[in-house]
Amino acid sequence: MKKYAYTFLLILASIFLSQCSKEYPIDEDGLLITTRTSAYVGSFEILGSDFQTVRTKVAVVDTVAQTIDVEVHFGTDISRLYPQFSLVTDAKLEPKITGFVNFSNLSSPLQWTVISGDRKIRKTYTVNLTVQQPTP
Amino acid sequence: MFSILSYRSVVLALAIVFIVGCKEEEYQVPLPESGLQNDCIKKSNGPNMLGVDIEFMYAIAIQKGEGKLVSAQVEASIAGAGETYIDHRSYHTNDNGQDIGVIVTDPSTNEGLRTKVNFSVDTNAATLRFYYRPSLESVDKEVSFVFSATSSNGQTVSYNMGPYKIRRMERALNIGVADGQRSFISIEDMKAYTAAEAASRPDAIDLVYLHRTIPGITFAHALIAPATDAIYRPGLTLPTGVGRDAKIFKAWNIRDIQLEPNVTGNNTFVYLDEEDFINIDLQAAPNYAINMKAQSGVWVETADRKYRAFVYLNSVNDAGKSVVLSIKRYRM
Repeated sequence: MKKYAYTFLLILASIFLSQCSKEYPIDEDGLLITTRTSAYVGSFEILGSDFQTVRTKVAVVDTVAQTIDVEVHFGTDISRLYPQFSLVTDAKLEPKITGFVNFSNLSSPLQWTVISGDRKIRKTYTVNLTVQQPTP
Repeated sequence: MFSILSYRSVVLALAIVFIVGCKEEEYQVPLPESGLQNDCIKKSNGPNMLGVDIEFMYAIAIQKGEGKLVSAQVEASIAGAGETYIDHRSYHTNDNGQDIGVIVTDPSTNEGLRTKVNFSVDTNAATLRFYYRPSLESVDKEVSFVFSATSSNGQTVSYNMGPYKIRRMERALNIGVADGQRSFISIEDMKAYTAAEAASRPDAIDLVYLHRTIPGITFAHALIAPATDAIYRPGLTLPTGVGRDAKIFKAWNIRDIQLEPNVTGNNTFVYLDEEDFINIDLQAAPNYAINMKAQSGVWVETADRKYRAFVYLNSVNDAGKSVVLSIKRYRM
């Protein structure tokens, strides 16, 4: 009887260990690393200090040239803007956006890198921001 | 045998519980308490501040056979402003939920800390409304109230309310400003001035309202500091001496009900309180706000850092190039 009990326990332990042995890799941010290899920006939004959009029109995202061209309204306080990237599934952005971003130096466009779900593909996008100007 | 007995016992016990539990208790009309009675609630919500009444409802009653109401009074720990009063009507709510007022007292009188009314009709029950308008003296202090009433049989009752902190905030409602007319705004005075008036008080002008239609850009309604860059005040000639700077920070979705008290609809409203003015960081704010919409606003800090304010646009008129705005101000 005792022998059967040990056998039963052994089977249970084997099942338990086999269940736990499967690893789901996560990255340094605690995000799941998947098999997806795509790394691109789907769409782009940019908000002002009042959390309302400051775009004059839809931002142009070029996934080949890896650029985002966006024009903001005249008078926008470009030292405090909140960019929002819509990324392909499982991708992530670097550096992270944790608050308002200063776009004041228009001659030096800001860049963000999109990293694929498998964390192996990195594509750097340049955000070219322009301010709407009066028609001469 | 045991199980059958046990079963029967349980069923019997349950039946008894059911019967006893379902016994209906007859409703009895509560007997009114003898003697003069009173009760009070604070009706107004939000921060207490200058220019905004604190409203109370004070209910008094005595049984018909015992007497009638003679007088009522409220004693505040700090005298209110001249606008403090007891409404001379007693209010009840009709079937449609509307407040119906019936005159029951003479107009109230203020004497120092006390506001008093004498009943002018033969009544043994009333709900009076008391409106306390905070005075300058009460700012930054706590104020308490003692409500009291007397009846014809010589009884007196009283009810304590408070304390309530009076904030260091003020407000000004529905200031009409129009481009090229009354468009120079003073946070210090909480008023709008014409160019000529502004020239006589240049150090108090913090904002200028302007409306522009410029090809290629959306300018529309704007609030700018006189010292802002010329590109943000096109075509504006500043009166002599007007040139103060200010921090101006656009805000959306901050609808303070104390700045739009008579609004209807399903909008979500908030109360801006002292903490909001203390904690807002305006250091990096620009000195202009362009393309402003109705029900939006701007946080403002005056150049001398004496005041922080929230300027709320109640309505805008594109064709008339004008807006109606309200100001809530905090003295730093």
